[in-house]
This record gives sequence, structure tokens and C-alpha cells, in this order.
Amino acid sequence: MNNIEFIYPELFLIISLLILLILGVYKSNSYNFIKKITTICFLLCIPIVYLNNIGDFNIFNNSYSVDSLSNYLKILILLSTVFSLMFTNDYIKIQKLDKFEYPILILSAVIGMFLMVSSNDLIGLYLGIELQSLSLYVLASIDRGSEKSTEAGVKYFVLGALSSGLFLYGCSLLYGFSGSTNYYEISEVFKQDTSIPILFGIIFIIIGLAFKISAVPFHMWSPDVYQGSPTSVTSFFALAPKIAGLGAIIRILYICFGEIYEEWKSIIIFISVASMLLGAFAAIGQTNLKRLMAYSSISHIGYVLAALTVGNRDGVISAISYLNIYIIMMISSFACILFFKRKNVYFENIYDLSGLSKNHPLISFCFATTLFSLAGIPPLAGFFAKFYVFKSVVEANMIYLAIIGLIASVISAFYYLRIVKIMYFDPENEKFDEGSNIGIRFSILFSSIIIIFYFLNPSSILYYVEMATKFLN
Amino acid sequence: MLYDFLKDYATILIFLFISIGIGVGFIFLNLLFSPNNPDSEKLSAYECGFEAFGDARMKFDVRFYLVAILFIIFDLEVAFLFPWAVSLGNIGLLGFWSMMFFLLILTVGFVYEWKKGALDWE
Amino acid sequence: MSYVLVFAPLIGFLLTICFGKLLGDRISQILTSSLVLASTLISFFYFFKFISNDTAIINDQIINWLSSGKLSFDWSIYIDPLTSLMLVIITSISFLVHIYSIEYMSHDKSKPRFMAYLSFFTFAMIMLVTADNFVQLFFGWEGVGLASYLLIGFWYHKNSANKAAIKAFIVNRIGDFGLAIGIFIIYKYLGTLNYEEVFNGLITLNDKTISILGIEGSIISFIAFFLFIGAMGKSAQIFLHTWLPDAMEGPTPVSALIHAATMVTAGVFLVVKCSPIFENSIFVLNLILVIGASTALFAATIALVQNDIKKVIAYSTCSQLGYMFVATGLGAYHIAMFHLFTHAFFKALLFLGAGSVIHSMKDEQDMRRMGGLWNKIPITYVFMIVGTLAITGFPFLSGFFSKDAIIEATYYSQSKFGGYAMVVCILTALLTSMYSWRLIIRTFHGNFNNINLDLKDVKDSGLIIILPLLLLSIGAVSSGFAFKELLIGIDFIKFWDNSIYFKENFELKHPPFWFLLLTPMFATFAIPLSFYVFLKNKKIIDDIKARHQPLYNFLINKWYFDEIYDFIFVRPIKNIGDKFWKIGDIFIIDGFGPNGFAKIAKIISIKAVKFQSGFLYHYAFVMLIFLSIFLTLIII
Repeated sequence: MNNIEFIYPELFLIISLLILLILGVYKSNSYNFIKKITTICFLLCIPIVYLNNIGDFNIFNNSYSVDSLSNYLKILILLSTVFSLMFTNDYIKIQKLDKFEYPILILSAVIGMFLMVSSNDLIGLYLGIELQSLSLYVLASIDRGSEKSTEAGVKYFVLGALSSGLFLYGCSLLYGFSGSTNYYEISEVFKQDTSIPILFGIIFIIIGLAFKISAVPFHMWSPDVYQGSPTSVTSFFALAPKIAGLGAIIRILYICFGEIYEEWKSIIIFISVASMLLGAFAAIGQTNLKRLMAYSSISHIGYVLAALTVGNRDGVISAISYLNIYIIMMISSFACILFFKRKNVYFENIYDLSGLSKNHPLISFCFATTLFSLAGIPPLAGFFAKFYVFKSVVEANMIYLAIIGLIASVISAFYYLRIVKIMYFDPENEKFDEGSNIGIRFSILFSSIIIIFYFLNPSSILYYVEMATKFLN
Repeated sequence: MLYDFLKDYATILIFLFISIGIGVGFIFLNLLFSPNNPDSEKLSAYECGFEAFGDARMKFDVRFYLVAILFIIFDLEVAFLFPWAVSLGNIGLLGFWSMMFFLLILTVGFVYEWKKGALDWE
Repeated sequence: MSYVLVFAPLIGFLLTICFGKLLGDRISQILTSSLVLASTLISFFYFFKFISNDTAIINDQIINWLSSGKLSFDWSIYIDPLTSLMLVIITSISFLVHIYSIEYMSHDKSKPRFMAYLSFFTFAMIMLVTADNFVQLFFGWEGVGLASYLLIGFWYHKNSANKAAIKAFIVNRIGDFGLAIGIFIIYKYLGTLNYEEVFNGLITLNDKTISILGIEGSIISFIAFFLFIGAMGKSAQIFLHTWLPDAMEGPTPVSALIHAATMVTAGVFLVVKCSPIFENSIFVLNLILVIGASTALFAATIALVQNDIKKVIAYSTCSQLGYMFVATGLGAYHIAMFHLFTHAFFKALLFLGAGSVIHSMKDEQDMRRMGGLWNKIPITYVFMIVGTLAITGFPFLSGFFSKDAIIEATYYSQSKFGGYAMVVCILTALLTSMYSWRLIIRTFHGNFNNINLDLKDVKDSGLIIILPLLLLSIGAVSSGFAFKELLIGIDFIKFWDNSIYFKENFELKHPPFWFLLLTPMFATFAIPLSFYVFLKNKKIIDDIKARHQPLYNFLINKWYFDEIYDFIFVRPIKNIGDKFWKIGDIFIIDGFGPNGFAKIAKIISIKAVKFQSGFLYHYAFVMLIFLSIFLTLIII
């Protein structure tokens, strides 16, 4: 029972959260200080997670697993969070969101995500989801003065509560029929019993999780919330919660529901196809960059889910590789979006970017590269991501899924390229502010370099992902 | 299998139809046979002979909700403490420290809300 | 060290193309030249090491380029004697051309871009020759093609330059397509693309046949045939030669580097490199022999009547490449390489000399508007004479040794077409001499015929142009004599080692004395003859012209190749394309395809956007609806 040493990363974050909360509330104007400490905590946590990666363990009566997959996803979560803290610094100050609760909420959301990716038990998973979501609800409406931000928070909260309710209902069904909340024990039950009520249970659970990663048709909240929330929060939404949600989905589908692959396969296929297509079609009509990114992320989640429909380790590997590259592209895109300000006013409309290439050639080059990569044009990283997914899907004889994915990516190329066209061929606008902070510049350059030069060594990410998913077979 | 599954619910289904039928039937009959000749006096709201002034729904101060939420947290804490106290002999040191940690978290939360002024009414 | 050899030009290219404006003209010129100089020194180092036999074959793997299933190949640096010889040619000529361009391009606006392209070309060419597998070779092959395209079209504001660039690119595509098919066949039947493994695996293909488009043939022959198609494209052999004369639209240093000394010899290099394959296919060797000989003769006849100074030299290049292919067709690969080596020097010298003339004449290329320049630009004149003597095979200059070696090889050849090749080669040697001297006479002697320019204004070029000419002329004079023993002497195997494969031991027997004298005599005899015909008594030429008007037209129109191609390929394809475009594309595909789909996508998009009403209860409703749909699905 005494397995405390395996959860050092979580403990470290929880204790720093408690200390920071006290510090923050006693010190006046403590945003800067708390934010720096939080970032340092995240950075420190990376080596702790890494050193903790000494094997695959199930602790606390099999209800919590610390294995290479969860550690990999945790490091990814930490890194993306650090980036999103780094490039949103200016924005938070200019928009006067610099309350010390902001970084602390992110910290607690990250703790929730850690629980989500590690949990091997429905109760633990639920707790993780709630801890993460509650923090995110507050973050979405952190700009209390703005009507849109409040609206986003409320919408997210109400729909989130609905999905949590569905999820809990599914859990209770499963518990009722299997007598346990543990993944392993439930999967033992699936070997004999696949009666309809138990299948109802898994549908409710899948829907609850699909909501969290904003997969169609449970995506309705995401465009409104992405647009309404402050951009700094939106960028966070697009990064870490997706990792955590997918981590939870992978764990529950492959470990808990592994025995009844045939049953959930069609549901996931439907969700994935719907996400790819709707993400592609609906984004055409958008002119707000944040809303467009919301649809773009919906579409990308569709590809990740397509890889998961394969039902073997290959699928997981390509899904996680895709996720990885998606994260890098999102870091780049949001860092670029946060660059577009003039005299401390931020611009979110795509037409505000017209003629960007003449004033800011480097930024527009990086943004254009990112957009090309999002559209999946070789030899950029996004192409490889899609390639892995299509490869594993085709190998599993689901060519139709690959074809739908291709069609969707052709459609989505339109709206990515439209932005490129606006940047490069439309008449020049006024210059944007030059003096953006180092965080934005670093994030853009770092992620663009990875995107551009990924093709030099495409097997690197694959290698790590393969290491991380070793235990699945 | 599907058939067996649904068979158990057949009675409920029949009951549902019958009750809906009766409910809708009576409303329909009412509409059909009741006398109906309204005028403006009949349609206006009636309140003790006065014209209505003000909304019937009252606005509560949001602080009530805050206090209610805080109350729930500490209320639940006590609900945890009882079983813990009863079984303290069996769960050993780990059990003891787990609860202490839980209380610590709650205390930190309490300190935060105090310092933030969530407990001040004005 | 080998890394420096490969990457120095690449670094030069990247720096100048990215920061050319920042660095300024002068620094970019010095930077690229000095980086290429570094490569040059290293190639000489390797070359001399191979000469003194104190190094083994170098094979450094830079990275594993791609590994996918069975297919795996490296990006590597593979240097054997053959490669080291190529490297010396490439880097030294490239270095001299870099230097030369500093002055030649002094009036141009985009100097850094030009230098960058030159460096890029050098890098691609080094990649081509240092490959240890067919894919890297193909990469370099396409890289030099790209560089050639960019440099031919360097003056992109000139319509003719753009057209020539596109023509070069497209004609090369045909050859590249052949090469690619050859590589595919190799991979299909041998499962590897590494040279060594391919050559070792050939034995398993003996006597195996396949049929392609209903033609039965041995696999090796097909491989060799398609590889040779690639070589034909790059080396401008007859039928695929049409791009080379047009490529003269590019700046002259480019013509010297790419279209004379290095890139066009890539085809010869390919054939020599793949000698184990070609040695096993008598049919293709004969084909090479016939094509090579025909090209030599055909190009020489055209060169006889052209008026553009660069085009004459271009056709001369074509013709000399024909010689090299004759040598490979006879199985005398080392002689081909030797001719390639000497040819690089004297042809680069001729081009750069012509460039110097053009530069002095303020960008005039037509020989009809030159003449009488010899005492105005004496230094250039001397160098041009040296180059001409070398190319015509004047005794004891470099061309004499290499060209005669080829002709001697034809004399003793066992091949069915050896006799044809011999006659053609000797005849071509005479023609070579004629057109080369015609060029000299038309340019430097006779009356000055230019109305736009005063003879007084014609001045010799500066030191930076003269210096490369000087170095090249040293090479043109001495390279034959100095390296004869080493490359084609009795003990030639000692140098070439295993880098060339001979099925039967190659012995160069010496033909009778009178035969040896034949070509030098023609070459020498042509000098006074040309002077008489082209200078003293022009009436003869005019008479011949008048009497054989159709023949003259035939030659001046380059055997009507362009017109025939235009008639057979270009126009029908254009017509078909036009039909496809108007009916197939605009009406059917666009109407029902992109435009139709775009319309549908737009409609769906509008619907999808409307779906997002913003009302919370709509959202919750959709979630619940889909929940019930899923539940229903799973029950059914």
C-alpha cells in the first residue's frame, strides 16, 4: 500500500499548489511572482517525472498506473503548459488578467490531467476530469469584466456538468454490472458479459470523454468557448487538456474496453469521421482566428481518433505521434495569434492579417509554415502526422477512413491556405507592434524549426512513442 | 435477446400510451366544451385589486450562494471525519496522515477564502 | 575532411542565397569562391592520394537517409579513383568559373544569386559523383538539372532565356524518366540500390528475361538501356540534344561550367560508373556506340555553319560527348574518362575565352558582327588558339592524346559497329578542326563588321578573366601529356583499380603507324585549309552554299530537329492538351469537380455554421440526441 514514491510528481505539484496559494494570497500584486514560481515548478516536475520512469507499475490496488505512456504524456502536458504560460505573458498583462489565481488554476488543472492520464480506475478518472474541468471553467471566465468570457465560462460549465453527469451514469452502469470500478476487473467481466446495459455504460463513458476533447457531435461548446475566452486561456485549452483527454481515452479504450473492441469501434469511427468532416467544413465559414482554430482542433482530434479505431498498438503509436505534432503546431499558431497586436489591442480576424508578409516577413513565414503543416503538406511535420495515421488505418483495412480523412484534409487546406493568401497577397495593413516578448518569439521559432526540419529525422518522435507504448502489447 | 430485453418494458410502454392518451384527451375535451369569451379585464393580471408593481421573482444577493458553497465543503468534511474517527484504530498511521493531509488542503482553502474576504459580508 | 569537400559549396550556397543582400556582392563572391577553393584543394589531395596508391576507397556515411521496410539507403560520401578524378574536374573548373564570374558578371544586379546558384550546382554535382547508391545519384542528377534550369534562366527578364530554361528542363525530364525507370527495375529485381550490392547481385540476373511493352529482353539489357536513356538526356546525345544549344542563353560562365565541363558529362560518368551493368549487355553497348558516333558526326556538321559563337562551341561539346560515348560503347571506359578529363579543360577554356570575347564586344555573340579582333584582344586570342589546338587534336596537346586513344580503340574494336565508329570518328576529327578554325577566323581575323561598336573600344578583359584562362590553358596543353600514362597507359588498372569493371581484360594495341598519323594530319591540314576557305577565298564557300542550298539550310536549321519535334510532339500534345483543357478540364472536371465540390462545401459550411446557434439548450439537445442515436446503434 505504501507506494508514495511513485506519485512524487503529483505530490510535488499538489504541495507547490498549496504553498503558492498561501503565498499568493498574502503577497499583494503577486501575479508575476506566482507565475514565475509556477513555471519553475512545471520545469522542475519534468525531471521528476522523467526520473520516475523506471518501469510500468500499477499502484494503490491497481487503481493508479505509473508507466511509460503516462509519464510520456505527463511530460508532454508539462511542456505544453510551460509554453502556453510563456507566450501568453504579454497578453495577460495587457488584458489585465494578471491575477495570481491564473497560474494556480493552471497548476491545479495540470494536477487533474496527471490524474486523468494515470488513473486506472473510474473513480480516479472522474476525480481527475473534475479537477481539470473545474479549473478550466474558472479559467474560461477569468476575464470577469467581459461578457463573452463570462458567457464562455457558463456555457462550458453547464455543458461540462451535463457531460460529467453522463459520464457518471456510465460509470454507475458499469459498476452495477461488473461490481468494480477498476479497469482490469471490468475488462475481466467483459470477457463473459457483453449485455446491452453494460454497452450502454461504455457509450455514456465514451461520450463523457469525447466531450472533454471536443469531438463531434459533442463539440458544440468548443467554438464558443475558444472564441469567448481570453486568448491566453484558449491557447491552453488547445494544448494540455487534449493530451489528458486522449490519454484517458486511450487508457480506457485499450485497457478497460480492450475486450470489446468490436463494440466501440463503430462509435469511435463515427465520432472520428464526423469530427474530421465537420471540423473541415465549418471552419470554411469562419473569419475569427480563434474560432477557426477551434474547428481546426476538432478536425485534428478526428484524425487522432481515426488512428485509435485501429485497435492495436500501431494505432496508439500513430495517434500519440499525431498528438505530439499537433501540440507543436498549436503552440506555433497561438504564439503567432498572440503576436498580432497594435498598440496593445489584439486582433483576431483573419482579414487583419492582410499583407502581413511585407511588414513581418519572418513571422508570416513561420505562420504560413505552420498553416501548411496543419494542412498536412509535405515535407512539414503535419504531413508526417497524417501519414502515420493513414498508414495505420490502411494497414487495418479501413481504407474508407483514410479516404474520408484525405477529403477532409483537402477541404481544410482551403481555409489554411486562405490565410496564407491573405498574408502574402493582400494589400498591406498597418504594422503590428514589434516589441513582443521573448516568449512569443522563442515559441514561434522553436516550433517552426521543429515543423520545418522534422523530415530530417522523422523516426525520432516515433521512437519515443514506441518506447512509451511498449507495455500495450 | 433484444426482444427479451424489451419485453419487460412492454407494460410500461402500454401504460405510457394510455396515460398520455388520457391526459391529452381531457385537455382536448376541455378545449372543446368549455365556454370561452375573454375580454381585456379577464385577461389582465389580478393582485388584490391593485395593478401589479414589481417582479414576482426576488433577487438574492450572490453572497448567499458563496456562503452556501463554502458551507457544503465544510459540511462534507465532517461527513468524512466521522467514519475516519470510528475506524481510526484499524487504518493506522497512513490513515491518520491521509486525513491530516486532507485537512491541510481544506485549511489552505479556508485561509485563501478568508484572506480574499469571501467571509466578509460587506 | 570529406565532409568539408561536400558541404563547403552547400554552405556557400545557403549563406549567399539567404543573406546575399546583407553580405554584399564582394563578400558573397569571395565567400563562395573560397569555399569552393577549399573543396578543390581537398579533391586534389584525394586525387594525388589515389595516384600514389596510399589510400583505400573512402566511404563515409553522413546519415541513413531513409529506411523503410527492405528499402534503405544512405546519404554518403563515396570516393574511389573514378570519383576522385571527377571531383578534381568539377571543383577545379567550378573554382575557376567562380573567379571568372566575378568580373564577367560585374554589370549584373544580382551577383550573390548567381554565385549562390553556381555553388549550389557544385554541391549537387559533388553529391552526384560521391553517391554510393542510385537514389543519391538521382538526387544529385536532379539537383544539377535544377541548377542548370536556374542558371539558364538566370536572366529571367529575357523571354528566350525562360524558354530555353524550360526546354532544358523538359528535355532532361525524358532522360530522367528513363533513369528513374532503370532504378526502379534495379530495385524490383535486386532489392537494393547500393552500387556495390547491385553490382554483386547482377550475377543472379544472368539469362533472366522480362518483357516490357511486349518486348522480350534480358533484365540487364533493360536496366542498361534505361540508364543510358538517362545518360543521353543529360549528355545531350542525338534525339535528346536539342536543349543544349538553347541552353547557351545562360551567362557564359554557366555554359563553361555546366554545359561543357561538368554536368553534361554526368551521363558519361553514369555509364562508366555502371560499367558492370553495361559490360553485360552487348546490345546496349552497341547502341551507345552508334548513338555516340552519330552524335559526334551530326553535331560537328551543324557546328560547321552556325553563326553564334557560343552555339558553335555548344555543338562542339555535343560532338565531343559523342566521342566519349563511342569510347564507352567500345568498353574503353578509362579512355572515355580520359577524354572527359582533357575535354573539361579545353572546352572550359574555349567557353571562357568566347566569354571574354563576348565581354569585350559588349555582349555581342554573333560571329558575323566580329572579325579582326586579334590585335585588339591579343591575350584572349592566344588562349583561344591554345584551346582550338587542343580540341582539334594538334599533336602533343591534350586533345591529341585522348581523342587519338578513342580512334585507336575503334580501330581494334571487336564490335559490329566498330568500323562505322572509326570512319565517323576520323571524319568528325576533320570537321572538328574545320569548325574550330572557322570560329577563330571569323572572330579574330578578316574585317571588323560591327556597326554598333567602334573597334577602338574593344579592349582585352581584366586580370580576373585572364587568370582562369591562363590556368585552364595550362591544363589544356599539359593534362593529356601529364596524365596519359596514369589514366590510359599500359598499367592503367593500377590507378583505376576496381572502380571500373572490364569483362575481358582491356588491352590497347597500337595500330599501324600510318593510322596514328591520320588524325593529326587531318587536324593540321585543316588549319591552312580553313584559312584559305574562310579567309582568303570566301567565294568557294559562297559557291558551295549556293549550289547546295538545301543542304546548307538543312545544317543551319540543325537538321530540322526542333521543327520535327515541334511537329511530332509539341503541337499534337498542345492540341490534345487544349482539347482536354477546354472540354475535359473546364467543362467536366471543373464543372462537376472542384467548382461543384467547392459549391457544395460552401453550402455545407453555411449549414454547419448555422448549426452553431450559440444557444446553450441547442447544444445540450444535440448532445442528448446523439447520445440516443448511439444507444440505438448499439442495440441494433
